[in-house]
Amino acid sequence: MTQCPDDEMQQLLGAMQVQTDDAIVLTEKMIDAYPEDARLHFLRGSILAGAGRPIEAHASLSRAVALAPDFALARFQLGFFELTSGEAQRALATWEPLGALPDTAYLRRFAEGLAHLIRNEFVETVLALRSGIDANEENLPLNNDMQLIIDECEGLIGRPSAEADEASATSLLLGQFGPGRTH
Amino acid sequence: MTRVGLDIVLVPPRVEASLWRRLRFEREIRCREQLFSRYRNLARGLAVRQLRRRPDNGIELGDMEQFAYEGLLHAIDRYDPVRGVPFGAFARRRILGCIIDGAARLNELDAQYGYRRKMASERLASVADAATGAGDTLAVLTEMVSSMAIGVMLDDTGMIEREDGADHRPSAYESLAWRQLHGKLRSEIERLPEREAMIIRQHYGNGVSFRQVAQLLGVTPGRVSQLHAKALRTLRRRIGE
Repeated sequence: MTQCPDDEMQQLLGAMQVQTDDAIVLTEKMIDAYPEDARLHFLRGSILAGAGRPIEAHASLSRAVALAPDFALARFQLGFFELTSGEAQRALATWEPLGALPDTAYLRRFAEGLAHLIRNEFVETVLALRSGIDANEENLPLNNDMQLIIDECEGLIGRPSAEADEASATSLLLGQFGPGRTH
Repeated sequence: MTRVGLDIVLVPPRVEASLWRRLRFEREIRCREQLFSRYRNLARGLAVRQLRRRPDNGIELGDMEQFAYEGLLHAIDRYDPVRGVPFGAFARRRILGCIIDGAARLNELDAQYGYRRKMASERLASVADAATGAGDTLAVLTEMVSSMAIGVMLDDTGMIEREDGADHRPSAYESLAWRQLHGKLRSEIERLPEREAMIIRQHYGNGVSFRQVAQLLGVTPGRVSQLHAKALRTLRRRIGE
């Protein structure tokens, strides 16, 4: 499998800071050149998710996970995308392999916390997400997303029949996505 | 239904996109009903506005709604969710087209034979077909009448809250026993097999004809009629338990 060289990946990451459309075009060109590089599909999926093209975003994220099943960040983000799309059971199935990561792995802790959230177990959600945040020093934007969910949960704890307010959209974040890394 | 935890993280455009993705690319037929229910109010609103604009020639709102639902179904089946045009804008034109065409087709005689009677005929035919195996004439009649009685109750369950928010239940029936019976009926609908519950919900709750329910489910109207009769029989049996 030919992987996109690091210098080209850096160039792509640089382009993503400017125009979404340019970044999509560039990513697609690179996918033509390296169709089996899971990182490129993950990038495309992340950009499309941010650009409000959810159907294509899901296809790209799924492709990334299919190409690299151990690409934990892509797997977590695919599950998170499914969760935010209302497909809770599918998200749990996507995250299931993350259970094989070490107990202290932040992505595993985040997935566990979100599984508690699906079951309305807010105290457990907060504990798991917080421990994930403590363990995560490499993907800080993800911590911000999880903190938003913690804040919402804390507002619900102790409210027996609480109605949740609509949370702000927690978007997929490219964060600490580094060249050459898939997990 | 409590979905508080999940509600925190839902992103509405993604939720709708997920329905389109599963309907188009994963052949999950039930997503068609969910999309239909999501946009039913848009179709109904257009039907109401079109009716107000027309001279009073006997066309009922129910007829206009059926044309609007037809348009909505066409739109659902023709929409390309990847092109980026919002479905509401795409569907509006098709719904309006169907209402205008339908109203033009409906002559005075048809209008007198309004949608309520058409719905009643569909229901009667459905339970009559199902009852013919019941034995002698009296048994057939008894079977039909008791199934129709459940249909009458369903019309009044308040399964779906009316859009004007008004309570249309007759006050004389506001007895505890009647309310309990309605409550039981509503919970029994939830226990029906998914397709039967969907038929009852859409037909009695939303006034959708068997033909259109058939389109939603991807089966023939005859099959909907059979499932409708089966659902009424199940409800009748369970209510009597």
